[in-house]
Amino acid sequence: MRFSVRHLWVLGVLLTGTASNTAFSEDALVIYSGRSDKFVKPVLAAFTAETGIPVKIHAGKSTALLTKLKLEGNRTTADLFISNDAGNLYKGSEFGLFQAIPDDILGVIPAGSRAKNKQWVGLSARARVLVVNTGDTTVEFVKSVFDLADPRLQGKLAITHSSNESYIAGVTVYMLEVGKEKTAAWLTGMKGNVRRSVYNKHSKIVADVAAGKKAIGLVNHYYIYRHLAKHPDAPISIRLPDQGKDGMGVAWNVAGIAISRYSKKAEQAQALVKFLVGEKGQAQFAKVNREYPVRPGIAAAKEVPAAGSFKVADVPMEELGRQRTATLDLLESVGMP
Amino acid sequence: MLPARWLSLRGVLATIVAVLAAVPLLFVVGSALQLGAEEWRSLWSVRLPELMWNTLLLAVLVAFGSILLGVSTAWLIARREFVGRRLAIWLMVMPLTIPTYVFAHIYISLTESDGWLGRLWHFLFGASSSPPELYNVLGVTFVLTLAGFSYVFLLVQDALSRSHRSIEEAARMQGATPTEVMRRITLPLVRPAVAAGVALVVLHVLSDFGAVSMLRYQTFTLSIYLQMSGRFDYQSAAGLSLVLVGLSLSFLILERFFRNRQRFYAGAQSQRIQPRRASRFEHFVIWSWLGTVVLFALILPLAWMLVWSWQAWQNDLIDHEFWGYVRNSLLVATAAASVAVVLALPLSLYHARVRSWLSHMQIQLASVGFVLPGPVIALGILSVVLATLPWLYGGLIVLVMAMVVRFLPLAVQSQEAAVQQLTPSIEQAGRSLGAGPLENLWRVVLPVIRGGMVSAWVLVFIDTLKELPATLILRPTGFDTLPVRIWIEASEEMLELAAPAALMLVIGTLPILWFLTRPIRENRA
Repeated sequence: MRFSVRHLWVLGVLLTGTASNTAFSEDALVIYSGRSDKFVKPVLAAFTAETGIPVKIHAGKSTALLTKLKLEGNRTTADLFISNDAGNLYKGSEFGLFQAIPDDILGVIPAGSRAKNKQWVGLSARARVLVVNTGDTTVEFVKSVFDLADPRLQGKLAITHSSNESYIAGVTVYMLEVGKEKTAAWLTGMKGNVRRSVYNKHSKIVADVAAGKKAIGLVNHYYIYRHLAKHPDAPISIRLPDQGKDGMGVAWNVAGIAISRYSKKAEQAQALVKFLVGEKGQAQFAKVNREYPVRPGIAAAKEVPAAGSFKVADVPMEELGRQRTATLDLLESVGMP
Repeated sequence: MLPARWLSLRGVLATIVAVLAAVPLLFVVGSALQLGAEEWRSLWSVRLPELMWNTLLLAVLVAFGSILLGVSTAWLIARREFVGRRLAIWLMVMPLTIPTYVFAHIYISLTESDGWLGRLWHFLFGASSSPPELYNVLGVTFVLTLAGFSYVFLLVQDALSRSHRSIEEAARMQGATPTEVMRRITLPLVRPAVAAGVALVVLHVLSDFGAVSMLRYQTFTLSIYLQMSGRFDYQSAAGLSLVLVGLSLSFLILERFFRNRQRFYAGAQSQRIQPRRASRFEHFVIWSWLGTVVLFALILPLAWMLVWSWQAWQNDLIDHEFWGYVRNSLLVATAAASVAVVLALPLSLYHARVRSWLSHMQIQLASVGFVLPGPVIALGILSVVLATLPWLYGGLIVLVMAMVVRFLPLAVQSQEAAVQQLTPSIEQAGRSLGAGPLENLWRVVLPVIRGGMVSAWVLVFIDTLKELPATLILRPTGFDTLPVRIWIEASEEMLELAAPAALMLVIGTLPILWFLTRPIRENRA
């Protein structure tokens, strides 16, 4: 036999054996993280440097990780769960997957940005805003997100597809502010304007608006500054919708953290949450992604509009989870691409 | 035939394997049973018609595309001797190493206005026209055909170069024209191979998650995933999975029906067909066609990976963590392939010799892993393991188990094809010379079907190496493989980080593919 299947088989068994022994260091805090590695790693490294507690990241999509957490139940290895969407955090607490965080840790964060039942806390916030091409004067009339349904924007509007978390959260806010009927009409109008061509990524929306292929787009604020950091001369600017006396304000969403109900290291996990809501942790966690720190008094990155200088829709973050299924049903009934 | 006792031992082993493979199905059936009649009705009327149409349309289009590319290239390579023929075999097989989500991702960025193809398009047709969109059924077909046609190529090329001269010569001697020989002898002879290849392709299409989710084409798999992860609605997801399983199984039965109507045993002495030397004109035609296929299926994606990997290299982004991902990937793929090959053996041996409701049942059960979407398999195994063997959970074994369940049908298919080539008389001869069952297996059966076992190993290895959705869910904490990294980096648009991982997948598979092309060369000797 020139080549033996048996050799491979033996090799396979050996490799499997060694692999199950590659120790999963027992003392590290395990975090299921739905937030990009590069935005989580630096601040966690700072935590480890300060406290000596090692941390291990298990990255994935928030919703998938939540599903995993739910199915694992008390067998889970996760000590903490980080999500970029308050809706997922709400769902997790609804499933009973988290444990309460002590008041002395939570207290520094405003009530609207954390769970009433203390099961999760927001860490950084993002605003749902418009990106416009500064050379295009035809979109000057757009002052509200609801103007995006105007037929004058045929072929000029860029939005993401309707399974994007940030998009869903935004629609939830509008639905709570103006009701289902008006929101459905708005979605129908936008559907006509985009002619079934929607985007996978917010960053591509910003790039296409910068290139003049689209005139206006609906995005999270930091994507604009991420693009400007790479291309300082790009002809784009931010427009904060629904301001003014009668405006509902921009839609707001938080990324946040929760402690797993079955964590065997609740004390260290609490130490991490305490670090992240602390002044240093807050500044670092938000700034790497140019988001707004949730804790009052901590400045955001200097290029973004200062917090407090604009109006934010008054919707408690918990509603983003409570209403998510209703929003999905609405999106589906309109047939949003 | 062989003694009944020996067959029944195979039968028992085969049954055990089949039942193990069907574990995720239990989970699906269990969850689907919790759906009320009302929910079924709304599922049936609201979602199913569109999903059914989308999925079937895609499967048919990709099947046609793969036959067109796979059979044409296989015929040229098997029947003509030309410069670079061995290289051509390699080039046709190599696209198998590129996962569908990488294909999709690369072609999305290539056809953007500032991508290579986008710019070429603007150059050719003016700046005002925009390059074709990939976010539709044709785009998905394009991507999945490129990613899958190699299966048809492999099996058809193998069948063509193994077909024996005697049959075609006999036909020629009876006065048949070359076209008649082609139509009445050659094509029917390769039909089982085409059917098997198309089956592989269609099953990949039905269970594909990566490309359809990148291109947002609503098939069963994507819809099931969205039900689970967006709405946490496991029951509806299970209901949809069950329909998908029904669809795939009926397709498999159809395919087996086509394949089993005929069986050929060639005499041991007859000569294999020698490929004819190609003329200059034929050289031109052959390489124009092969070159076009290779350009889209391999060269463009590879060039993209190289360019971005070079960027990563220059920016010092390839660190020790990256090599850890490589090691993890190889580890899982090696383990899964080895286990799958061994487990598939009793199934394929038994089914190749015994045709009964039991053996058919076993084969269908063992196929379940392949027709269920990856996320569903992962959740099924996760639930069952947690309920029965919780101490296993969190380790690598569970992940390997999921990979084996998922890709066992690949191993069964290719081993079974090899076993069918094994004339029953050889086995009987071994037994009549006094070899015990194990000795007979070791000294007679295994050496003969070695080729089939190697291709089984390679197919499972390659698919495990590329597997994404189940790995995402079941990997041990912090255990990242190359596909997991590609997926994470690509969803963050860190192309320069996704590209080296994709490139490593291709490079890592090369030595393995070498084994795969070996039997083909042996056959020519």
